[in-house]
Amino acid sequence: MERILDVNDLHVSFDTFAGEVKAVRGVNFHLNKGETLAIVGESGSGKSVTSKAVMRLIPDPPGRIKQGEIKFGDRDLSKLPEKEMQKIRGSEISMIFQDPMTSLNPTMTVGKQIMEGLIKHQNMNKAEAKERAIELLKLVGIPDAEGRVTQYPHQFSGGMRQRVVIAIALACNPRVLIADEPTTALDVTIQAQILELLKDLQEKMGTSIIFITHDLGVVANIADRVAVMYAGKIVETGTVDEIFYNPQHPYTWGLLGSMPSLEASEEDLIAIPGSPPDLLDPPKGDAFAPRNPYAMKIDTEMEPPLFKVTETHYAATWLLHEKAPKVEPPEAIKKRLRGMAPDEPIIATKDGERNV
Amino acid sequence: MPRKMVKEMSKQEKLLEIKNLKQHFKVGKGTVKAVDGLTFDIYQGETFGLVGESGCGKSTTGRTIIRLYDATDGEVVFKGEDVHDKKSAKDLKKFNRKMQMIFQDPYASLNPRMTVADIIAEGIDIHGLADSKKARMDKVHELLETVGLNKEHANRYPHEFSGGQRQRIGIARALAVDPEFIIADEPISALDVSIQAQVVNLMKKLQREKGLTYLFIAHDLSMVKYISDRIGVMYRGQIVELAESEELYRNPLHSYTQSLLSAIPLPDPEYERSRKRMVYDPEKHKPENGEERVLREVSEGHWVACTEEEYNKLKNSVTV
Repeated sequence: MERILDVNDLHVSFDTFAGEVKAVRGVNFHLNKGETLAIVGESGSGKSVTSKAVMRLIPDPPGRIKQGEIKFGDRDLSKLPEKEMQKIRGSEISMIFQDPMTSLNPTMTVGKQIMEGLIKHQNMNKAEAKERAIELLKLVGIPDAEGRVTQYPHQFSGGMRQRVVIAIALACNPRVLIADEPTTALDVTIQAQILELLKDLQEKMGTSIIFITHDLGVVANIADRVAVMYAGKIVETGTVDEIFYNPQHPYTWGLLGSMPSLEASEEDLIAIPGSPPDLLDPPKGDAFAPRNPYAMKIDTEMEPPLFKVTETHYAATWLLHEKAPKVEPPEAIKKRLRGMAPDEPIIATKDGERNV
Repeated sequence: MPRKMVKEMSKQEKLLEIKNLKQHFKVGKGTVKAVDGLTFDIYQGETFGLVGESGCGKSTTGRTIIRLYDATDGEVVFKGEDVHDKKSAKDLKKFNRKMQMIFQDPYASLNPRMTVADIIAEGIDIHGLADSKKARMDKVHELLETVGLNKEHANRYPHEFSGGQRQRIGIARALAVDPEFIIADEPISALDVSIQAQVVNLMKKLQREKGLTYLFIAHDLSMVKYISDRIGVMYRGQIVELAESEELYRNPLHSYTQSLLSAIPLPDPEYERSRKRMVYDPEKHKPENGEERVLREVSEGHWVACTEEEYNKLKNSVTV
């Protein structure tokens, strides 16, 4: 499989009056051609900062990419001069933001906003760009595109605005699309439409997508692979099936456990106790240890490396060390998983194989 | 207490009756019918979930019930008394004690210039529930502990707390005047997943301990299903379906409910791959003869907005 993006040992920090906030602390991931990678995590886990670093949208100062490389083809985006980066942004890598209300310019017609990128990056003239803008609006499913192209953002509903944002992002046929919580502000039915649209467009255009979200339902819907982030690090990564049916990291268990299933359930949800650590002064050892009921002594002293579960599945928890006591995931998680795939009982064995 | 028992007890006592409630807003030349003829009851000790998409009028309903808006028409009867009647200041005060609200945004709903103790004790002061400074502080400390914070937090300011902690403060404030009924308007939408579970568990615990009744307004259907005994689905200012939560999820009858349920993504990749989404088109769903759909009881406790003809069909299919 062709790797389109390769992020190695990325560190991003923000200098504040209180000191250096280490928002991203050594992140590694890659993106294959045509796939969707979901980055999951809570607010403050560094998922948005990671994606903004890829786009080089971290305001500097106070932020800076401290260390690491972002390989896009044979270029390292983290070291590219701003002029070069401008050529990539919007044409080869583009981004969809969470809030369609604020990511559009209220004083420009949507057509103009789509045409901007086309004229700048693809040397189109106005007439060509307008034609293409109408095509794009049709592509993202906006009815009466010819009429709509001269309208302003306030004349569109939330879901329609997000479609316009997607049209802008796709205008130059980018190789990578970064979607930062694109459906969080939308209603479930509209969310479902937008997810279907993204999948459909991906199939047509072969775009690779980095999808950032905290909603595990959305992840299950759209992702091929998943990276779970906590306190500025990726704590578990694997294919979507591996993460949902054979999770290894206690934080992933916690995330899955705190979502109610639609099956009947009278018990309390498994909440993760406490709150995420302060990244001004990240704790020594495993950052999740204070909230982890399975934490061992070593967790407070040394940071766990990523242990390999399968070729595609890695998790950073000492529980996977050969000397660690064997720990079963909480009953509720196991039950959930059994409930989820009724035809195929899945049991996690030590080497991470799925037994049937 | 097992939920079943609560239900049987509650069947006997209606805490809140909402009758043909309407809330219209004048906007420019026209009117927006945010809530247009709602009728439902909330029983003592239950959690009633109100779901719907943005703009369906669910928050307006909550705000009208607690009299933040004056209703355009209809009645809200709380323990036999009409909330929207003219009341003397004294009666109003008495009523305000029994009904409290928890808001969506834990950042905007706490005064940043007040200490946590003063925020929580505001209701205690207004209603004169503490006779000395010490009694007041004791009460504040007790409330902080009830919601899982500690005494030391009393003298701090809201900005020193995380979103989940702030929502706990909002809950403590609501509990300070010993209410019987709490309206929770999207109390967890602004919180992270792991924190959402903490707050929901806290609300359930408080309900068990204090016998509270909740009106839980939300758009997150899986959480609503989890916390509610009964659920009302709202669409364009009206309730289109109302049933016990199990029943509603297992057997949704209105096509809007079906489309809403089929749109929820679940944390299960296999299910997601095979999920078929149903689309609700109000135009296609219009009854042919122009008859208005009315909320009717098709089976015990299961109400659906339907026409006479649909009602007969549904009723037969249910009994068979």
